[in-house]
Amino acid sequence: MRLFVIYTVDGITNGAVYAAVALALVMIWRATRIINYAQGAMAMFTTYIALIVIRHGAPYWLGFVIALAAGLVIGAATERILVRPVESRPPLNAVILSLGVLILLEAIAPMLFGGQTQSFPTPVSNIDLVAGGTTLDFSPFDLFTVGAVLVAMLLLFLVFQRTTLGLRMRAAAFNPEIARILGIRVGRMLTLGWGLAALLGALAGMLAAPSVYLYPSNMDEVLVFGFTGAIIGGLESPVGAVAGAVGVGLALSYVSGYIGSDLAPLGGFVILIVVLMLRPQGLFSFGTQRQV
Amino acid sequence: MNTVLRNSTLLRHGVFFLGLAALLLVLTSFVFDPYTNYNVTEVAIYAICTAGLTVLTGINGQVSLGHGALMMIGAYTTSVLLTWHPDLPLILMLLASMATTGIAGAIVGIAGARLRGPYLAGATLALAVALPQVPSHFASVFGGNQGLNVPTPAPPAFLGGDFSPEQWLAWITLAAAVITFFVLANLVRGATGRRFRMVRDNEVAARLSGIDVARTQVLAYMISAACAGLAGSLFAYWVTVTSPSGFTLNLSLSLLTAIVIGGLGSLAGAVIGSFILVYLPVWTGGFASSLNLSSNVANNVPLAIYGIVLIVAILVFPRGIAGGIGSIARGATRIIRSSRGPTALPAAPESPSQ
Amino acid sequence: MLEISDLTVAYGGVVALENVSLSVPEGSITAVLGANGAGKTTLVRTISGLVKPRHGSVMLGTQQLIGRSPEAIARLGVGHVPEGHGIVSELTVDENLRLGGLWRRDRADQRVAIEEAYELFPPLRVRRSVHASNLSGGERQMLSIGRAMVARPTALLLDEPSLGLAGGLLAQIMQRLATLVTERKLSVLLIEQNARSALSVADQAVVLSLGKVELRDSAERLAGDDALRHAYLGF
Repeated sequence: MRLFVIYTVDGITNGAVYAAVALALVMIWRATRIINYAQGAMAMFTTYIALIVIRHGAPYWLGFVIALAAGLVIGAATERILVRPVESRPPLNAVILSLGVLILLEAIAPMLFGGQTQSFPTPVSNIDLVAGGTTLDFSPFDLFTVGAVLVAMLLLFLVFQRTTLGLRMRAAAFNPEIARILGIRVGRMLTLGWGLAALLGALAGMLAAPSVYLYPSNMDEVLVFGFTGAIIGGLESPVGAVAGAVGVGLALSYVSGYIGSDLAPLGGFVILIVVLMLRPQGLFSFGTQRQV
Repeated sequence: MNTVLRNSTLLRHGVFFLGLAALLLVLTSFVFDPYTNYNVTEVAIYAICTAGLTVLTGINGQVSLGHGALMMIGAYTTSVLLTWHPDLPLILMLLASMATTGIAGAIVGIAGARLRGPYLAGATLALAVALPQVPSHFASVFGGNQGLNVPTPAPPAFLGGDFSPEQWLAWITLAAAVITFFVLANLVRGATGRRFRMVRDNEVAARLSGIDVARTQVLAYMISAACAGLAGSLFAYWVTVTSPSGFTLNLSLSLLTAIVIGGLGSLAGAVIGSFILVYLPVWTGGFASSLNLSSNVANNVPLAIYGIVLIVAILVFPRGIAGGIGSIARGATRIIRSSRGPTALPAAPESPSQ
Repeated sequence: MLEISDLTVAYGGVVALENVSLSVPEGSITAVLGANGAGKTTLVRTISGLVKPRHGSVMLGTQQLIGRSPEAIARLGVGHVPEGHGIVSELTVDENLRLGGLWRRDRADQRVAIEEAYELFPPLRVRRSVHASNLSGGERQMLSIGRAMVARPTALLLDEPSLGLAGGLLAQIMQRLATLVTERKLSVLLIEQNARSALSVADQAVVLSLGKVELRDSAERLAGDDALRHAYLGF
């Protein structure tokens, strides 16, 4: 029972990180019908930037803010410069392009930051809390992780649902042509959408790095598990993406705890296949299936 | 009439590939130095796998981000069989690897036939990440992270005592590649290829004309996986050790990017892509080490250049390098023809390697 | 005043519009009639910048519209009610209306404009927080016209508003539109296959056939002349 609680807490904490990535993927998918395979690599890059800032003596929070800002810039620049020309082309072009960005970022990172594995600081303690003599099975950093993702999701929800900017972005994503004839600058909205998504990815990087450490390809798995969660959730629904990603986090944690940590990714794959066999468009998708 | 034509295609392909085999035999025996042979072997291994991937993605329209995992199944089939029965002939190893990987491909294909676009991409991506973890868990069979050693196949005695095993492997691999391309070229030209393309272009129309779409997709996956299995088996001999680190996510991504950069849907594109995959690091690596850079920089220059090549190729040659060459060739033909008079557009020049 | 001159549009090698010229004076409705494939929708899509013409000019007052992006053209005062309503069905009625003038700086007037849209089409008010996907065909059309009006356009392009609407409701919407045109001094280009309904509100009419202007006349004359009607409009 005790183990089950530990695995569950772990699963939820990791799931929160995957949820941030899943949400970023869903935002970009809904707006541009593109899966950003470079999402993980971008998060790796921004986390390295934070590490450099912190290593130079700046407080954690400055690094945190700079990482998120860097995510915003990298995401927006990627859309504006690289993705825009292929948006109207067959989908495989965008797939290859984002793989190119992934490969490029993972090659540049060791040039700039060194290739060896680095440890990464936490803003609050990473040691399990003790209350009244018994050890609780979560640390302040676990709470911070879950809390930060929840706050980010709440902020995004407010921006999208309660502001005119959010209304513009939603209109641009749902129906770009109609948005344009209503005077909305759709291109800017897409750029901003990519930026916000990469900011969310940068947050995931900051939250994942203390436990998975930091090296050039370390966010690949985070991307794959976030993507798995987003697919299970149906790719169209932010709520589905979060639910799917937390589900993936829990499943990986149980497989890893009860069977063996090597098999965790296989567990994720099996769950993905089982869900897709039952519902080929994921759990929260109600729209018509879209072709490649 | 129809049979004659089909026979003549077969005949044309047969002549072309026999000629190609003879040329490769001469090149690997008398022209190339051992290092070139080593690289050409690698190109041939990737070409076998990317040719299969071309059939799947280019001809049948199914994306796979997990072909590295399928290659891994082929490699481990050979390596495990070799640890159990070291004396089995090489041809059996190749066929066994094709069989196991083909079966695995059929399973992935059955699951994948219901999936489209990013759903299929995501499932295959998850496979690419998940499968390399399996050998570490079942270390007693698969040798864990250290992997399994694979002896280089010994050349037969009649070739003489000083015939190098590396050259023998180059011959085997190139022969396998030529046969694979011959079979796939005929398949792509024939009724099966037509069915594959119909499913790719318009599933509804394909279904209406009586094609079993799911079955066609599973068949494409199986054929493609069998190629990956063959490539994986040869890869095991070429690397001489089969371990999970040989089949990273990067391998899967490289294979898919290679067929797109080469020119999606053409078997020639698969060769061009494989060539780039092998020789870009060789050339850029040489360039980088000549600059006296730190090892962190120099080691990653090839990868960075590959990333840039991918991005630029997608932005500049949306139809891949083979497509770019093809349209330049067609443009040139058109200019030559039109200067002679008739203005009707000539059909694309058909080469058997398409 | 919306003035189109010498407009030619081609898709690949296929010419969709050939040297089309027409003008829509302020406070009047010009109906563009013609069969399917005559180029009617191409005409409005070119005016609002969604299709690039081969040559020609579209002037709104003193502004040249050709060469500008759709979003810039909307901001110059062209309202476009696209074929098939073009509402964003994932958004609520109120959100759809707000989209109409999101780019305008005058926030206070924006609220007034939305209020006016609700007054113009009262059925929308009761359904304001409903997702637009749940609206009936008539409500969608009202929403689409209302949304275009929120931006306070000087020119309005209506593409087949009669599509899928019952006769009574259509007449009602057309009547509201006719009032708006005189009140606001709008230049309206009304694309219709349903010539009878269009001619009942329009001031002048143009018949397009295979991308060319086949006939232009006052709506009254065209509606009254049986021979012309039979020849060009088939009723």
